Amino acid sequence: MSKMVAPTNTSVWVDTQRCKACDICVDACPAGVLSMQQEATSTLGAMISVITPEACIGCNECELSCPDFAIFVADRKEFKFAKLTDESKARQEAIINNKFRLPTDYKGSN
Amino acid sequence: MAFNYDSYLRLEKMPTLWCWGCGDGVILKAFIRAVDKLGIKKDDMCVVSGIGCSGRFSSYVDFNTVHTTHGRTVAYATGIKLANPDKHVVCVAGDGDALAIGGNHTIHGCRRNIDITMIVINNFIYGLTNSQTSPTTPQGMWTVTQKAGNIDPTFDACKLAIASGASFVGRETVNAPRKMEKLIIQAIEHKGFSFVEINSNCHINLGRKNKMVSAMENLDWIDSITVSKKKYDTLSEEEQVNLLPLGILKQDTVVREYCDMYQDIIDAHQGKRAKITQDDFTKKI
Amino acid sequence: MATREVISTGNELSAIAAVDAGCTFFGGYPLTPSSEIMHVISDLLPKIGGTCIQMEDEIAAICSVIGAGMSGSRALTATSGPGMSLKAENLGLAQMAEVPLVCVNVMRGGPSTGLPTRVSQGDIKQASNPSHGDYRSITLCAGNLAECYTETVRAFNLADRFMQPVIVLLDETIGHMHGKADLPTVEDVKAGIVPRKKFDGPADEYFPYQCEATEPAVLNPMFEGYRYHFTGLHHDKNGFPTEEIETCRKLIQRLEDKVMFHQDEIESNEEFMCDDLTGAEGEVLIIAYGSVSLAAKEAIRHLRADGIKAGLFRPITIWPSPAKRIKEMTDKIKNVLVVELNIRQYTDEIERASGRLDIEGLYKVNGRAISPHEIVSKVKEVF
Repeated sequence: MSKMVAPTNTSVWVDTQRCKACDICVDACPAGVLSMQQEATSTLGAMISVITPEACIGCNECELSCPDFAIFVADRKEFKFAKLTDESKARQEAIINNKFRLPTDYKGSN
Repeated sequence: MAFNYDSYLRLEKMPTLWCWGCGDGVILKAFIRAVDKLGIKKDDMCVVSGIGCSGRFSSYVDFNTVHTTHGRTVAYATGIKLANPDKHVVCVAGDGDALAIGGNHTIHGCRRNIDITMIVINNFIYGLTNSQTSPTTPQGMWTVTQKAGNIDPTFDACKLAIASGASFVGRETVNAPRKMEKLIIQAIEHKGFSFVEINSNCHINLGRKNKMVSAMENLDWIDSITVSKKKYDTLSEEEQVNLLPLGILKQDTVVREYCDMYQDIIDAHQGKRAKITQDDFTKKI
Repeated sequence: MATREVISTGNELSAIAAVDAGCTFFGGYPLTPSSEIMHVISDLLPKIGGTCIQMEDEIAAICSVIGAGMSGSRALTATSGPGMSLKAENLGLAQMAEVPLVCVNVMRGGPSTGLPTRVSQGDIKQASNPSHGDYRSITLCAGNLAECYTETVRAFNLADRFMQPVIVLLDETIGHMHGKADLPTVEDVKAGIVPRKKFDGPADEYFPYQCEATEPAVLNPMFEGYRYHFTGLHHDKNGFPTEEIETCRKLIQRLEDKVMFHQDEIESNEEFMCDDLTGAEGEVLIIAYGSVSLAAKEAIRHLRADGIKAGLFRPITIWPSPAKRIKEMTDKIKNVLVVELNIRQYTDEIERASGRLDIEGLYKVNGRAISPHEIVSKVKEVF
């Protein structure tokens, strides 16, 4: 199988040269790991950002559903991913409800 | 480690020309993973695409690639496959490509059961040329050629392929990349004509005037019109009307493949076997 | 060169020639009056392990042939006017992507369904540009049974030399004519095969469409370790779509120049009883091609018996036209008669090449052959 070397100690990483800011990966993430962020130089005015890499559960949904080869997830054998927590779920819900961007005043679920 | 798509991509062509959120990219990725899992050498694979957004598919992958005229993928692929029966030939076509202008070739590719994998990317609209009605555009939807609402009845591509004699027919959606990857693997492994319809989104050209402005809204709509074959089979006819079944819809491993059958012609002409008669076939008419 | 005597038809000879020239793939669709080519080659190809497939339509036929051609095979299709019209778009792709193939067109009456079983030469202009866009068609026209064989062989070699489709024009009369032909031996034909050029250096130094401004692309067959892209779009040195201004210009200019700079390799004419034409008053030059040239030769014998010094100029390579030679001939001889089974289709080209507007013509478009007698009468009437 064709493999690429992952950056050290990284659960999920992005290639901002390829990202077209479609929001799909943010929508696909169950754990509030990803969020769009304002980016004036991007065509759609936004760019993907990994906001809470430590919350990534390694489900790979973002990578599988990214149409632009712009997001990568580490191999389960090499990286110890987090478990899906209520906090992560709440953050994800807040991101989805705020047009795929983490609310600037978001304080967490508790 | 992570999966390395780049080793199959023509990196100088990245990023793709497709719009943000286009399902074509998701299908391209699933296809790459499928080829990688099957362990097919890049030199042994030929990808043939037609015209439309899906036509660009072939230019992004580092295989032997052909970007043909509108609708003619299967005809080109038939020549390539017959001249190279031991190689893998995959066609990628859109719904307009495969079902409108290229409908005849699709039908006859299925009928011959030649060992070609045909991936039909169905986004229910002509995307590249900006929102004209396609053979799969649902009735009542807005298109730029039928702004008062589309009245043209639609094709069920998989039913067409089944009726035409394809020995492997399946459908998946871009909502389920893992299932799609598995279906493509099974399709390539299948010896015979494999017809794979992938329902994809075009929020830009289908969605913008049909209340599906974002990729996610378009994908949700696709989710709402599709159901697993297992569940589909339990539904009444009335319930089935507005749903498309997902999964393998037909798999016939008994019927013979065309290149194999052509070898019989070669053998007959070379005196290695008797002439072919109706007794060689279980299906007589 | 040793020859052999064969009794056959034009269509059959064309099919045999293809196989002798190394053709291993035929994709076709039945079309009168060309169908016998597929009838014959469907027996010949499997014998040598090749493939003959009857496709679902004319378009699929040319597409399958281009597909086989891309993957390295010598490939043939055969059709007639209506089929040529349907194949046009994909002949354009083969021109653009530089895929060699041979397309035999056995001409019948047109336009549209026309006169399916009757002779015509109505596809002359179509052959020069079957598809839209700029490129140079190479079109050969067999004028007798032997040439149905030799021109088909030559077409395959030219296709691989110039990496593009080559059209062989037969007409219904020649295609269905049954008779004796003196052919070169199979050994000589095989010895004369010039396969297409191949690049054998490292794959990362291979640029299929990067070539001299007057040379064709060097396209290695698929599946041999050199992966590149075929497209009908304007493309760069690797075959990938581009809209870069200079690349686009150079590409299309090269499609023109790769043929026109090498016309000496392509041109072929017959000058029958022209040796003693000096340009004196009363001499007649007849220009004819295809089956009509057989009647013209007979007419010339009659004319000479009647004291009229006449000769025949017969282009075998119709496109690109032998314009320079036409100019020389028509500069020398005043009385020029073009005889065609169409209305002025090649006369227009003769006028262009000669710069003269007083070229006489004898045209027939009712599906019947022109008799020597008609040509003799016409010569006596107009000169």
